[in-house]
Amino acid sequence: MLSLLLWLAGLLLEFTLLVRSVQTKTFTKYIYFYAYISCVFIVSAGLYIGRSQLGFYEAWYWPTQFATLAMGCGVVLEIVRQALASYPGAERMARRASCAVFIVTFCLVEWSVASRAVWSTSAATVDLERDLRVIEALVLATILAIVFYYRVELGKNVTGMIVGFGAYVGVSLTTLALRAFLGPRFDGIWSDLQSASYFFALIVWTVALWSYSPNPKPPANGRGGRGGGGYDALVHGTRAQLESVRSNLRGAAGS
Amino acid sequence: MIGLLLYLLVGIGLLIFLWLLARRERAPVEGCGRQFVEARQALRTLQLGLLPENLIERIFDPEDFRYVTRVGSGDIGNLFLQERKRISLMWVRRVRCEIRNLMRFHLDYSRLHAKLSVVTEIRLALDLALLLLACRALRILLYSRGPYGARAVVGVLTAAAGRVCAASEKSLAFLNPPALESFRRSSAGDGAAI
Repeated sequence: MLSLLLWLAGLLLEFTLLVRSVQTKTFTKYIYFYAYISCVFIVSAGLYIGRSQLGFYEAWYWPTQFATLAMGCGVVLEIVRQALASYPGAERMARRASCAVFIVTFCLVEWSVASRAVWSTSAATVDLERDLRVIEALVLATILAIVFYYRVELGKNVTGMIVGFGAYVGVSLTTLALRAFLGPRFDGIWSDLQSASYFFALIVWTVALWSYSPNPKPPANGRGGRGGGGYDALVHGTRAQLESVRSNLRGAAGS
Repeated sequence: MIGLLLYLLVGIGLLIFLWLLARRERAPVEGCGRQFVEARQALRTLQLGLLPENLIERIFDPEDFRYVTRVGSGDIGNLFLQERKRISLMWVRRVRCEIRNLMRFHLDYSRLHAKLSVVTEIRLALDLALLLLACRALRILLYSRGPYGARAVVGVLTAAAGRVCAASEKSLAFLNPPALESFRRSSAGDGAAI
């Protein structure tokens, strides 16, 4: 009953989000994000309309779930694209770190899948969702670490995207891990928690994306830092400072 | 079981990050001038507020302590020693804080550089972490030996911090807009100081 209520309310919020995106002309600004919302809306509405037909829901749930999972990766891309757009240095760092995280996690997951003794479609589907969520969660955590380290200022829209999607991914991952451990007896709670976390994400997105609010622009660098011309000199200066203090402290500790 | 713990760790870790993001105070959008002023301020605090020779002499010279123990009782001497220890620890904390400010200045600029070197940034982050750890170790040394038990250390730290200031001057000079430099040169005589 709770899941059904959340389903209907979620459809309403998704529709509201899409209408507002057209009204505020933000659909094209956050194209990957709204593509994801559109995909989820179409899938949810389709499943809701067809659920009265026998076997329709069961037949279409997992294939459509794959589609929304894949589109969910687009939200992560959107977050990287928007959050660090004005910070080329931090973006470069995030891109490299995210690639490294993706490759390492993917290899670990592949290795884990290959070493599984028994295969079943339902278990494989749930495992795939969990593994994708792990990658999304680690990439999001990496981006957030870079945002904190470089003190990147985020606008209301992007903060909302991150908080909403991050909460959904975090809760999904935690509940999927618990489900794998506790088995089918956890299914009822798992389903409700998944729906509730997605509903929470929708509320956050509706509030945060109600109007267009871009990220604050970083201050302009006096020597045209975007070109990267003075980076070497800046690094040299900082490294010299740190090195001199460190070497002297090392000597001091020994005295 | 280990897999479950790892998945839970990642999931809960992400939720904690989000909580920190939601709680993060919105820093004012700073202009170039403001950052410049702040970096200058950090330098000035180090050069004029924390590193002047007479101030360091005043804090770490045992002559005051000798005088107090000579004319006062042992209790007063102990109280004096406690206060000096507190001041010396505070001094190290402030030096550490200003070093962090200078590093923040570096980050504020490096994040804008398209040709940022990932390896170099990681090395710098590790260097900073090691340096901050070293400062902490120095505090422990002062705490355990007292203000007069680590005079050599204080001397070395002062010299190092002085070199930091000199290096930072160069960094800040590089960030001076050329127009400002030329204006500064042309107004160096009896004009207002920039």
